[in-house]
Amino acid sequence: MTDRALHDLVIRALADAPFRRSAEWRQRALADPERVDRFARFLARHFYFERIVHFFKYSGALARLTGRRPDAVLSQTSFDALLPSLVLGSQDSARAVAELVVAHVKSGAPSPPIPYHDDLLRYEQTMMVVEAGPRVWREPSVSETKGVGSGEWEAPHKVEGTALLDLIYDLPAVLPKLLRPWTTVPDAPARPVRLIVARSRHGRVAVAKATDAIVSIMDLADGRKTLDDLAREAGLRPAEVQATLQGLTELGAVRFSTGS
Amino acid sequence: MSALKIGAFYNPHLGRELAAAQGIDHLAMADPPRADDPWWPKIQARYTLLLHDYLGQLSEPLDERSIQRARSLAELYRTPWVAEHFQCLHTEDGAYNLNYVFPPLYTEEFLARFVANANALKGRLDQPLVMENIPGFFDVRHSQMAEPLWLRRFFEATEVGFLLDLPHVWLEAHYRGVRPADWLAEFPLEHVVELHVAGVTEDPDLQGPWIAPAEPAEEMLEFAAHAATRCPRARAVTFDAFSPSLTAEVLLRSVERIRAALA
Repeated sequence: MTDRALHDLVIRALADAPFRRSAEWRQRALADPERVDRFARFLARHFYFERIVHFFKYSGALARLTGRRPDAVLSQTSFDALLPSLVLGSQDSARAVAELVVAHVKSGAPSPPIPYHDDLLRYEQTMMVVEAGPRVWREPSVSETKGVGSGEWEAPHKVEGTALLDLIYDLPAVLPKLLRPWTTVPDAPARPVRLIVARSRHGRVAVAKATDAIVSIMDLADGRKTLDDLAREAGLRPAEVQATLQGLTELGAVRFSTGS
Repeated sequence: MSALKIGAFYNPHLGRELAAAQGIDHLAMADPPRADDPWWPKIQARYTLLLHDYLGQLSEPLDERSIQRARSLAELYRTPWVAEHFQCLHTEDGAYNLNYVFPPLYTEEFLARFVANANALKGRLDQPLVMENIPGFFDVRHSQMAEPLWLRRFFEATEVGFLLDLPHVWLEAHYRGVRPADWLAEFPLEHVVELHVAGVTEDPDLQGPWIAPAEPAEEMLEFAAHAATRCPRARAVTFDAFSPSLTAEVLLRSVERIRAALA
């Protein structure tokens, strides 16, 4: 085993609590287990602090009404109880931590009530869960220049973890206002919106309003259907499929497999 | 030793105070400026800015995208040098990421990797590269040499500058049970270009001290004064605190106290 591979084991032991308890790790006796455990707990709290502050920033801005700061959950026993099962960067762990945050924030009934509060918490929770997952840190040295319609990359597939979110209120209209100074909480228009939340290979989370064409393609893109198949089955013009796929690719919601 | 410049990190939530502050010679930039930061134009016009962003981990070569990002930030800031860390915080396949600085194994293989990749990065930058030491909370038994020796060999092989983080040295000394000044003496101080000074506080998870966005204690300031006399090429000292919880009062008072300690 190379030193680099060995170092990866150390990183995994710090990030992955179940692995840290495994015989595979413990038998190697690479480091003082007590020190490793303490540092892993420190890293976990830091890891989720950054994500909670970022993804629940709107709830943070509303904390003076709810009386609940989202990151306060990190000092609660419910978070400590999760520590033995956390795998930093996994969707399951992100979901578990986000659920704690939502429960904590919901426990403080805002006064006056915020009509779109449930929508907002679902939005923030979705963003945090979608962000989790392995990421590409380095691009391959040979750039991938192939794209939609090149004839070589013709089987788009939905990227795992991409989420469609149906909301009762038009949150995108109110979110920027929540982060600016306000005295009375800004209103969100009561009109349904459907959002698509996706993550790039580099871990950047992006959100966009989902059109009917987007919803159709996300349903159909399974890595086997060609662009012509998608156009036919979705009842869309090929140019519309191409344009939609271009947007979804940039968003990180769709990738292309080689057509072979 | 020429007069040391004393600065801090740019904390965007303190933009108003930093834009009007006196007694700060430079600001280190940990993140690119946000497009909606109203204070950025004044900050950029007023201060010497030091690039201190995450560029990548030099256990692997930086890809072209990261190099271009580093070049573009260096140009935006007109930075006198570009800083990166001795860190290896994500697995090679990207599956696990600590999201926090973490040192490499101090082995020949990692030394060869860091030397090769730092030399490659240095060749693509228009400014000198400086590298910052990172504290270990525990030793990995596979390491083949002590950190100070590994660093010495790295700097001799690359001729890049040393960004000496003093609290990192202080913490390692604490957890090794040795005097900070004795541990510091092992490091290749002749390569130091910049020093970091910061506060430490007790961390409940670590059950001991760790870096925090707090004022440096008197002991840390005395340690900084001691270190500065042993770094003949040092040009700048930076109060190393970058956090939404940092207050303007703590930042400004820390810079003032560092300046007084080094006078």
